[in-house]
Amino acid sequence: MNDSESIFKLKGIRRTYVVGDEEVHALDGIDLRIDTSEFIAVIGTSGSGKSTLMHVLGFMDTPTSGEMHFEREDVSSIDGGRRARLRSSRIGFVFQAFNLLPRLTVAANVQLPLTYNRDKVDDSRGLAMTALKRVGMEHRANHTPNQLSGGERQRVAIARALINKPRLILADEPTGNLDTKNRGLIMELFASLLDEGITLALVTHDDEVAQFAQRRIRMQDGLIVEDSAS
Amino acid sequence: MNPIADIATGARNGLLEIWANKVRSLLSMSGIVLGVAALVAMVGIVQGMLQNMRASFERSGGILKIEVQEAEAPESQQHIASISPGLTWRDILAIERATPLAEYITPIVDMRWERFVANGRREGGLLHGVTPDFISIQNRELSHGRFISETDIIQKSPVIVLGDHVKSDIFRDFDTAVGQQVRVKGDVYTVVGQLAPVDNSGLTGGRRYNWESRLNFMPATTAMSRYKGSDEVDKIEILAANIQELPDLIAQVENTLTQTHRSIRDFEIVTQEEQLAEMKKLENSFVYSLGGIAGISLLVGGIGIMNVMLASVSERIREIGVRKAIGARSHDVFIQFLAEAVVISILGGLLGLAASVGLLAFAREFIPEGSGINVMPLVAMFYGFLFSSGIGLLSGIYPALRASRLDPIDALRYE
Repeated sequence: MNDSESIFKLKGIRRTYVVGDEEVHALDGIDLRIDTSEFIAVIGTSGSGKSTLMHVLGFMDTPTSGEMHFEREDVSSIDGGRRARLRSSRIGFVFQAFNLLPRLTVAANVQLPLTYNRDKVDDSRGLAMTALKRVGMEHRANHTPNQLSGGERQRVAIARALINKPRLILADEPTGNLDTKNRGLIMELFASLLDEGITLALVTHDDEVAQFAQRRIRMQDGLIVEDSAS
Repeated sequence: MNPIADIATGARNGLLEIWANKVRSLLSMSGIVLGVAALVAMVGIVQGMLQNMRASFERSGGILKIEVQEAEAPESQQHIASISPGLTWRDILAIERATPLAEYITPIVDMRWERFVANGRREGGLLHGVTPDFISIQNRELSHGRFISETDIIQKSPVIVLGDHVKSDIFRDFDTAVGQQVRVKGDVYTVVGQLAPVDNSGLTGGRRYNWESRLNFMPATTAMSRYKGSDEVDKIEILAANIQELPDLIAQVENTLTQTHRSIRDFEIVTQEEQLAEMKKLENSFVYSLGGIAGISLLVGGIGIMNVMLASVSERIREIGVRKAIGARSHDVFIQFLAEAVVISILGGLLGLAASVGLLAFAREFIPEGSGINVMPLVAMFYGFLFSSGIGLLSGIYPALRASRLDPIDALRYE
């Protein structure tokens, strides 16, 4: 694999929180390379640092130290505006609790990221319908989230993550609130995204879910202790 | 996104949010609604009443008018005060002769309240003896007939000009009272003219008691000879041609009267400047007290909006987290919440303006002297709207700042 195919390169990434007098190293020197169209599962117990890693990869958090490159751009110390821009244009988020806005319709929820995209979009409704079609939810466009089942809500959330054509989708326990059948459907949906050049990283503590991924990274105490790629 | 699109999006989100929380939004708006309605309605009412007062002031000669009244002679002249003949008809003649700057001049021979009898009906009214210039000084209009003429003065004619009040009572069955006869204190007078009704006096009473419409007039000479039996007058009213000549006119009148009164200062010359100053003072005190009240109610409205916005921010912490995660900058969140506050206050302001029109229409109907009230005082409405929007903007800043400063990770974890 050469450089052009890598989407993320992390070197010596640390994220330290100060809690009272104590320093907590949520990430304690992470070296990681993620390539385009990889499907990665990050596993670990709670407190292992997997969520912090997701937040750093999703530009929601900045590392305390270390080097970080995203699509060959040095993003180690970019400002809040640039991070927001990267979040809106390059990253899609899928959460365990779906986090759809209850007052908006399904279509409006899916369109929401376009509101914050700095590039002008002409037909945001059309784009939303395309994204909903992609996850098989176009028939529910005018419903509100509370009229949907958990599995349906997560599919809508995935459509929302897809609408800005992201390079990377980050999913934090995306199947945590779903039953077995829906868990399978969602994971198949995720897997199908890889063909579209999207890179997927999901955090889970469910080993069964992790089996869907090509590459499994296990974290413990802020460090990567196992990486199936290496 | 450009700033205008940001604000448009923010306003749209704000409207959605307001619609989703109708009751809460309405309650938070109520302070602004009441504040704006009170502000505009009170300004409208006060403006209307001041307008009436000003009109009445202008009608009675305005700033150009000076009045000569009898006064106590100074201490040093008390012992010889009796050598002065007092304010008499001779003063009128002297001023007419010696004071070219006096544009119009009339004595007022005040016969106070009198009973007017005709057609088997009787009605009370005020009776003044005046000269033809009176109608020019007081800016009164005739609806029928003529006013008192020079000939009437010379011949001491037994004629009378009736005000609207007496006419419409005694001669209610006639289109005009002109040509009719009316009996006052035993003497018979022919009605030669009838004054047009005066809408508002603004100074006293309601439409039921309008002192200007109760005034009736006869020639000053008739009044003096038939009624008083002396040539004394109660007051002299003089109108200057223009404001520049007013000081000279006062000096001329003073010189003339000093001669006719044999140097006794038993008169005073009163200008309308004092009344005007009083009116200005009244106007200012209205503006300040009303401004204070309206300011306080708008402040309370603003606090209401801030309260609701803070509650709204705490309620929607997770939503803020989601919005930030999918790419909203702090700036976008700030604009969204600020726009919501502004939209609430603008809607409140508009409702308040609508309410104020209703209040003013009501006041116009039911307040005495209310017919001068403008139902849509546009300037006051403009400022009311501007203030309410400004208050919304100010009270939205702090909640919007709080929302925009939330850390997306913490916000998403918030339960």
